[in-house]
Amino acid sequence: MLDYNKYLRQQKFPLIWCAGCGDGIVLKSMLRAIDKIGLSKDEICMVSGIGCSSRLTGYVDFNTLHTTHGRAIAFATGVKMAKPEMHVIVVTGDGDATAIGGNHYIHAARRNIDISVILFNNNIYGMTGGQVSPTTPIGSRASTAPFGNPENSFNISGLAEAAGASFVARGTVHDALILDKYIEKAIRKKGFSVVEVMTPCPTAYGRRNRIGDGVAMIKDLKEHSVSVRKASKMSEEELNDKVVTGILVDRERPEYTDNYNKLIERVKGSNS
Amino acid sequence: MSELTLIIGGNAGQGLESSGAGFCKALNRGGLHVFSVQDNRSRIRGGHNFYLIKTSTEPIVSWTEPVHLLIALTAETVDIHLGKIVPGGAVVYDPSLEIDEDRIKDREAIPIPLPLYDIAGEAGGSKMMANTAALGAVAGLTNFPIKHLLSVIEDNFRKKGDKVININKKVAESAHDHAASKFGDSFKFNMEQQNGAQRMVMNGNEAISLGALVAGCNFVSAYPMTPGSSIFEWLNKHADEYGIVSKQAEDEIAAVCMSVGAAHVGARALVPTSGGGFSLMVEALGLAGMLEEPIVIVLAQRPGPSTSLATRTEQADLLYAINASQGEFPRIVIAPGTIEECYECGGRALNLAEKYQTPVILMTDQFLATSNRTLDKNNIDLGAIKIDRGALLTDDDLDKIDGEYKRYKFTENGISPRALPGHQNAIFKTTSDEHNELGEIVEAADNRIRMNTKRMKKLETALADMNPPKTHGLEDADITFVCWGSTLAPLTEAMNRLNNETSNTANIIQFIDLFPMPVEKVMPVLKNRKRLITVEGNYTAQLGSLLQMTTGVKIEEHILKFDGRPFSPEYILEHLKKLEKRGRNG
Repeated sequence: MLDYNKYLRQQKFPLIWCAGCGDGIVLKSMLRAIDKIGLSKDEICMVSGIGCSSRLTGYVDFNTLHTTHGRAIAFATGVKMAKPEMHVIVVTGDGDATAIGGNHYIHAARRNIDISVILFNNNIYGMTGGQVSPTTPIGSRASTAPFGNPENSFNISGLAEAAGASFVARGTVHDALILDKYIEKAIRKKGFSVVEVMTPCPTAYGRRNRIGDGVAMIKDLKEHSVSVRKASKMSEEELNDKVVTGILVDRERPEYTDNYNKLIERVKGSNS
Repeated sequence: MSELTLIIGGNAGQGLESSGAGFCKALNRGGLHVFSVQDNRSRIRGGHNFYLIKTSTEPIVSWTEPVHLLIALTAETVDIHLGKIVPGGAVVYDPSLEIDEDRIKDREAIPIPLPLYDIAGEAGGSKMMANTAALGAVAGLTNFPIKHLLSVIEDNFRKKGDKVININKKVAESAHDHAASKFGDSFKFNMEQQNGAQRMVMNGNEAISLGALVAGCNFVSAYPMTPGSSIFEWLNKHADEYGIVSKQAEDEIAAVCMSVGAAHVGARALVPTSGGGFSLMVEALGLAGMLEEPIVIVLAQRPGPSTSLATRTEQADLLYAINASQGEFPRIVIAPGTIEECYECGGRALNLAEKYQTPVILMTDQFLATSNRTLDKNNIDLGAIKIDRGALLTDDDLDKIDGEYKRYKFTENGISPRALPGHQNAIFKTTSDEHNELGEIVEAADNRIRMNTKRMKKLETALADMNPPKTHGLEDADITFVCWGSTLAPLTEAMNRLNNETSNTANIIQFIDLFPMPVEKVMPVLKNRKRLITVEGNYTAQLGSLLQMTTGVKIEEHILKFDGRPFSPEYILEHLKKLEKRGRNG
């Protein structure tokens, strides 16, 4: 069994996350994946934005960069461009990456830059007290949607796929061991990769929407998730309230830092 | 007069904020005055949080540091706050925390171990209800009638149903009886019910929201950011009743742009935010200046730069609010200091924005935004705010228009009569490029000079609406403190104490209207003072710089604070002594 402690800054414990929050499950899954690949701590630069999940970078013993709200991917792009040999992992949330940081998310996927994004999707702004996020389901309640959310929600994974990411997977904290595999593949993949993790926020979402505590929410996640394979045989209507899990995209596309290196070589070549 | 300060402290996630606010209401229903301070760490769970309530039979000027009753839901609470306990005060805690009683007794205070968790459990409640038990115990110890707490429990838990209400009531009553019978005699500070005027409890953000609502605010767009969010949530909650369009945007750039768009077609639009969000809004702030659109940004300050101390307080955005943006355009910046002024400014900001067709920035901070205070009901005059839409053309006016409508007509005072899109006689263009009276892009130098001068002329015109600073205390004093915003309350208490010791020691000049600075009205107030000291929650004495820049008056002495915590009267007096010591030493 993996000794998680070698990757953790224990002096920063206890964690800030609420009882029943799924973020800790994702943290452990990430550490298992990193350990399996056998990356040394110095090879990793972990970048996060602002929000509950983004506080993760405070607890891990990698090179970490806790930045401003929505901008983690833009900072990470700078890190990767300046030090392409580093494994750059972004830890972010649904609000951070797809509301205020939506533009950076789309354009990083378009460039297909070799960054792995672990996106914690809890359908709400937890840290600021339960405001509606771009993935809050239509009709759900939030502190800024007291009469129910009138907006359609994002398909975050679909967005990354359409924008050009090499690898996209969606998992849930209910199936943590499968999550390990997605995260491992995402880190190994050359190109922009996204693992969207469905994770419960009992404090800001579950209570308000009467789903219950963390355990009830994880059960709810289990009941509503279907595999990609199963989903391919289901109608759009049947899929309405479902979370489709699995590897959604795994393809080879030119990667940005590679392209950039080739450009450097070509320009140098023509100058000599 | 009797007064008492209590602190309930524990971990984030133990419901301190709602308990504290609820108890403020209960005290108010018992005829007592309250003044609260909310102190949170930026985390959802864990970490020390506390809620301080000062209560008194008489009106309260400010919160103060000495504590009479400390309710510790964690051992850390005792470690942090024991140093502020007064002799005869008490510390209430659950025996499971294993607090060393001698530490409390060493401070001549009374240890009160109360099995809060057991009391909650025996009444059929959960661990979370330990705070309800704690409040029940407070009532028991201080002779405060429990019925007021029970009535607040009924109101606050109404949505959760009778079962939850009854358990909470039972928990509160049981803790009350337990505390009163075992410890009521030993604790000497009381909070006895007062009969008299009906009052209400309100914080700064609620007052701003109410002022804006009364002034016809019908559009609010925002992105979550503490401590601005609660204005958005308050207006959201009442959106159905008062017909407010509310829009949570994908970021602050979108939030402010939505309000500019809404204002363009006639909405009374407001955007609450904090410094980080305001930074993102700056580009559109310039657009609003260029298009001459009336928007109100409420800038609820917290420490910066960047994320900094996200849940705390500071006053370090003043010069930024006044200067943010490339280029020059008129803007108005105001900063209320009391809850009543928050209400007035909430309404006034919308009026000023439409009157001068330009952005207005209303500045507060976390301390003022979240501090609950009692107000006499007639202190909030719903009739006092009148809606002023400025030079807005009515349909009748527009029917009579002959020829082309000029949205940016050159006028003496810089204000062009404003049509809203949708009338056939006034189809008009607007552009972020420099433009002529018709809103058409024009690069000619002479047009640029005339149009820029027309816009900037509004700053001069607006001086008519800019008030001189308020003065507090006696006309003549040895020391004149100069302040803005939330600092007023603790500073007033500090001034009162100085004057009680030696009469005519101190008075205060408080700035609400900060930009454009009405220099001619300010000079008579500032001049001929014996000694000026600014008191500000920032590192660089920004109000001092602003006054030097606009009036030429250079204030040499400052009492500053930038630790993220609000000023207290004690802090101000202590630092005044330090200034005097420094002065004597040359």
